[in-house]
Amino acid sequence: MGGGGFTMYERTPALDALVLALTGKRVPKICFLPTASGDPSDQVSRFHDRFSAWPCEPSILSLFHLARDRIDPVDHLLAQDAIYVGGGSMRNMLAVWREHGVDEAVRAAWESGVVLAGLSAGAMCWFQGGVSMSGGRPEAVPGLGLLPGSLSVHLDGESERLPVFRDAVASRALPAGYAAGDGAALVFAGRELAECVGSHATARVLRLVPDGRGGVDELELTVRLLEPAGASKPPPGEALAVGEMRDLRAGGSRWR
Amino acid sequence: MEWGNPLLDDYVLSLTGVECPRVCFLPTASGDADHYVVRFYRAFPASRCAPSHISLFRRETGVGDPRAHLLAQDLVYVGGGSLVSLLGTWRAHGLELALKEAWQSGVVMCGGSAGSLCWFTHAVSSFHEGPARRIEALGFLPWSNAVHYNEDPGRRKAFRDAIAAGMPAGYGAGDAAALHFVGTDLERAVSSRPAARAFHVSADSRGAVRERKLPVRYLGAVTESKALAA
Repeated sequence: MGGGGFTMYERTPALDALVLALTGKRVPKICFLPTASGDPSDQVSRFHDRFSAWPCEPSILSLFHLARDRIDPVDHLLAQDAIYVGGGSMRNMLAVWREHGVDEAVRAAWESGVVLAGLSAGAMCWFQGGVSMSGGRPEAVPGLGLLPGSLSVHLDGESERLPVFRDAVASRALPAGYAAGDGAALVFAGRELAECVGSHATARVLRLVPDGRGGVDELELTVRLLEPAGASKPPPGEALAVGEMRDLRAGGSRWR
Repeated sequence: MEWGNPLLDDYVLSLTGVECPRVCFLPTASGDADHYVVRFYRAFPASRCAPSHISLFRRETGVGDPRAHLLAQDLVYVGGGSLVSLLGTWRAHGLELALKEAWQSGVVMCGGSAGSLCWFTHAVSSFHEGPARRIEALGFLPWSNAVHYNEDPGRRKAFRDAIAAGMPAGYGAGDAAALHFVGTDLERAVSSRPAARAFHVSADSRGAVRERKLPVRYLGAVTESKALAA
């Protein structure tokens, strides 16, 4: 996902519902990894708000806060049907994953058929690289490389990323790849792109390929609009759109 | 940052020798938890120091150059949480190098729990399932360290076992006890509660562990009657 889903207060839960549907299980086990944001409690409660309304077994893996049941991170991930990774700092997330062996665990889970999903940093991490704000300014950062190519996110919401992504693809600092907007998602079967889907009609995905003359060719891909998932009522308080939420965070998260 | 007990906070501030020290909080081990940052600003208000913090999870909102910021401090305070996650995040930003530079230039370094363990070569930490793990930390201090030493029997046992198995000798600190090093040598142990304890733990060549109780100076002795009256 280029953005959207429960962590970004998206009203339509279509993308979250799709993650469960892709498992093909009646009651899938789904584990949320909020590492990239430092495991904040608000994301944890929003995950439970959304997924406890659906037939599934939701769980959280925190690498910063002690869980009461002290689960083993690697064993827990290998037992899931879906792993859902939140957004935040991609550089921090991958560094912390490496220390805990979670990078190898998600790879092994994927190879054994577990659905891997996520937004923003939690989407770029599956590719060879992405454009991250982990250092304060947008920059090309390597990912796990399970999927070929690169991904940039928040295409419409964070305009400073696309020029950096374009330059990185043009200069081959990143391989050819995709730029996805909020509410847009790329669905891969194995290492092949199966389709692009969206939770709203204006969700966009671009394909960026070096043009061989030092620039890039950009092609807008077809995005299939998902049916709104009706199984979940939006939790109370979930009245903010993604854009409003971003404005609030930009203005309100600075400590003085 | 103990609730209602500023003794250790006062002590670390006094070590800077500066009237209004610049104090930077690193809440990395907690994932930069908001509530922890708030607690820091309450314990270290602008009336007694120049407080700041560095968030490595929201760098776009914080100080531009963490290295320059750390070098300009009188005191760096590292919060608790997961030692393993702390080390991974710091290394991703080269913060361990900046901290070493700051420490060598005379900045006072302190912290609780994971924020204590990080300064030693080896630490014993029990975070996820299974026995407490032996972890290689930053190694500014050439000893090993365990925290919550009296409160968590699993840690004490794991620490003693690791030292018996060849981990460098080191220090076990109970809650409310603090180890004060000057350079790499222990200057003294202090505490914010009278019953707090600290130990030096070593092993002989046959692996027999020796646990020596350290004298711990209770920082509140002078003002105890006043505190009780209040």
